Amino acid sequence: MSLEKIISKSMEKAQSAQAVMLSTETSTVDFQFDRLKAAESSQRTQIDLKVIVDGKVGTSSTTDPSDVEGVVSRALEAAQFGSPANFDFPEPQSLEPVQIFDPALLTLEKPEMISMGQQMMDMVKSYNPEILSGALVQKIIYKVDYANSKGAKYSAKHTAFNLGAGGELVRGTDILFVNKGLGQKQRKVDTEEIAAQAIEYFRMAETIAPIASGEYPVIFTPSGLVALLLSLGLALDGKNVFLGASPLHGKIGQQIADPRLTMVDDPTIAFGPATSAFDNEGTARRVMPLIEKGVLRNFIYDLDTAGRAGVQPTGHGTARQLTNLVINPGETSFDDMIKGIEKGLLVHEFLGLGQGNPINGEFSLNLFLGYKIEKGKLAGRVKNVMLSGNAFEALKYIEAISQEREWVSGPFEYFNGLIPYIQVSKLSVTAK
Amino acid sequence: MRDQLFEAIKGHDVEYVDIRVEDLVNTWVIFRGSDLDSIGSSRTRGGIVRALYKGGWGYATFNDLGDLKKQVREACLTAKLVGSGKTYFAPTEVVVDCIKARLIKDFRQVPLADKKALMEAYNKIVLGYHEKIQTSIVRYADSFKSVWFASSEGTFIEEEVPDVNIYVGATARDGDIVQKGFESGGGADGYQSVEGFHEQAATAAQKAVELLSAPPVKGGKYTVITDQIMTGVFTHEAFGHLSESDFVYENPQMQELMQLGKRFGVRGLNIIDDGSYPGGLGSHRYDSEGVRMRKNYLVKDGVLVGRLHSRETAAKMGEPLTGNARALHFNHPPIVRMTNTYIDNGSVPLHEMLKDIDLGVYAVKMIGGQTAMEMFTFSAAYGYMIRNGQVAELVRDVTLTGNVFETLHNIDAIGDDLQWEPNGPGGCGKGGQHPLRVGLGGPHIRIQNCVVGGQQ
Repeated sequence: MSLEKIISKSMEKAQSAQAVMLSTETSTVDFQFDRLKAAESSQRTQIDLKVIVDGKVGTSSTTDPSDVEGVVSRALEAAQFGSPANFDFPEPQSLEPVQIFDPALLTLEKPEMISMGQQMMDMVKSYNPEILSGALVQKIIYKVDYANSKGAKYSAKHTAFNLGAGGELVRGTDILFVNKGLGQKQRKVDTEEIAAQAIEYFRMAETIAPIASGEYPVIFTPSGLVALLLSLGLALDGKNVFLGASPLHGKIGQQIADPRLTMVDDPTIAFGPATSAFDNEGTARRVMPLIEKGVLRNFIYDLDTAGRAGVQPTGHGTARQLTNLVINPGETSFDDMIKGIEKGLLVHEFLGLGQGNPINGEFSLNLFLGYKIEKGKLAGRVKNVMLSGNAFEALKYIEAISQEREWVSGPFEYFNGLIPYIQVSKLSVTAK
Repeated sequence: MRDQLFEAIKGHDVEYVDIRVEDLVNTWVIFRGSDLDSIGSSRTRGGIVRALYKGGWGYATFNDLGDLKKQVREACLTAKLVGSGKTYFAPTEVVVDCIKARLIKDFRQVPLADKKALMEAYNKIVLGYHEKIQTSIVRYADSFKSVWFASSEGTFIEEEVPDVNIYVGATARDGDIVQKGFESGGGADGYQSVEGFHEQAATAAQKAVELLSAPPVKGGKYTVITDQIMTGVFTHEAFGHLSESDFVYENPQMQELMQLGKRFGVRGLNIIDDGSYPGGLGSHRYDSEGVRMRKNYLVKDGVLVGRLHSRETAAKMGEPLTGNARALHFNHPPIVRMTNTYIDNGSVPLHEMLKDIDLGVYAVKMIGGQTAMEMFTFSAAYGYMIRNGQVAELVRDVTLTGNVFETLHNIDAIGDDLQWEPNGPGGCGKGGQHPLRVGLGGPHIRIQNCVVGGQQ
């Protein structure tokens, strides 16, 4: 069923309409407890329709492409009671060329995916046979079709390739989980590199290091930076800004972070995990600075929020999520960062993310995977430790940013980005 | 549908096949601030085939219901690619059953306009409560799901699963301080369960405003009393997940840690998972493998006596079936999940529990919880300091954390006032399947030496 048919059916009663169709095929192989546990083939189609009738919005969706009547009539019904449309669907726009499709993934079949998973698992096992290892290899091919009543019509075929390796190690009542993953839109991903990173996190945890409560310098790994980015993401969300709930409200152009901190949202990176030329509201995506040298530059908006706030939409129509978040590298090497710390923490993974009051910046997180730094060296895993502070304060007291950057993406991560290690001068640590 | 499903799995060439098809219609109304944020409805259809061969699983998930035989073939082919060992799969009774929804007031018959008007009324109560109320969220959602399940052993189950829920949240602001209050409700028995929520809407707003002037709790070790909802969260997060045998069954060290017969807490501590609990949020007649749900003791009188199983884990560990293989929806195969998990009533009334505490924390309601096997953390919506045996001032940012093995031993008083958490939009997350409806509950309990996070 073509989207044009849904649009034209809708337009019998609506003043504007847009439809998005997502068709996905996924293959997954899943290793658990040292063996191949399951494999899955998955086919999915979804159509989302949004209509504007008499200035009001109605939405509806279906997984049944033949259900044109149903999806249209439900959207029209919803529009009778819908929220006022503070926007109209966009005219056709010129799109940035992006690399999102890797034909090399088309020929990748399950037997080869199984041997990739096996190879990662074998590497983890050869480091320590007591680890119960696991691995995940996933290939996704999907197509996004967009059409609206203004004549905009886009189609994009994506590939995606997700890998994960890790496992669990139980020693007495001490349980250690490590999972390292990566997701890109191309096949060129190094399985050995992923397994080696997982092993490194195991290696650093070989000993348990006690730490007393107090205030310490803390280095966030690229993945671990989620502790701060969660609050920042909520505060950059145009809807929270418009509603006055964002603490960054009214602070565009002001210094909100250390002057060495520069971050952009970049939907154009070749084969990046969240690269795409248009959002699901037909808005072209562009590179957008968020923070430049510590100065707040932009908030992110979808059509509706932009309309309400009287600003331009920024191409963040999928629930106002960032695409590929890129933070500029700093001048310190990761090794020098560690060397410069007398006593502190390297933090990687947390329990309790999003609990408490994240939009306020306040966090109080159980350290799921974190390491003690002592006399310039990594000294082992810390346990039963809570890290507390305020994300917006922490961003003002950055001690160092690493030269090295890593991709944060794939099955185990909360966001997509190219991120350095960031050292904050001090945070409060509660130890048991 | 029955003939269609049996026809599709007929002639398969593996050890076992089942197919589950679902049809779901849902509607929602969301207010954020003074505006209607979103209103609409959707329809989702789809299915999953599971094939088992030599201990390996092949899955095919789809929402094109046109060629079910093709999906069965794909799952079988995949299973044969995976399987190379021994199959463990506990036998279960073959059943043919049909479970119809029983709704007092059918939400499918309530016009969208009425749902919107009711939510608008709740939203106005929140926004008009106080000048410091900054914004609000009122979220209404209902869903009616029909599920058909057929297995190559001959089981056929048809089930209707209705759900309606509401969440009312208030955000208050004073300068840089932003605080939240919320109430949730709903049920599986109809639209009436979200009507008459006006008082709760005001309570949500009141709590957000009160918390503006509440100080954050000072981090440290305290004697902690948890209210019934927090007890439920604790039981679910800190202990329940450890009882899910898919973490244990292929892991010898974990088996040693979770050996049946081991003492986990004081005498009088009873932890139960009961999928047959009448009206429970996690109750069904059968799990997603067609196994009858039942009442399972996990801890009896402080001693570990059982754990939760799927057909595979029960066979592998040589333990009885419990009916805990649950799937969120057709996107997912069933995995071992809790149903309604609770600490059973003890005998200590709340005022007795408070009496001996010089300085402590009373943790109330939950925002969320998470666990990594023996480590857990969960956040109360708010709390009160306990001073000299009395509930004293309101505090915010109450997050409890600890090691489950130590913490269970540190429970030294169990209340007599068991309650269940009300329905709401949330649920349990595991293996990418979130939110699954689960019941959480218990009485007030007292925990000695509990770590509360926060600045010192």
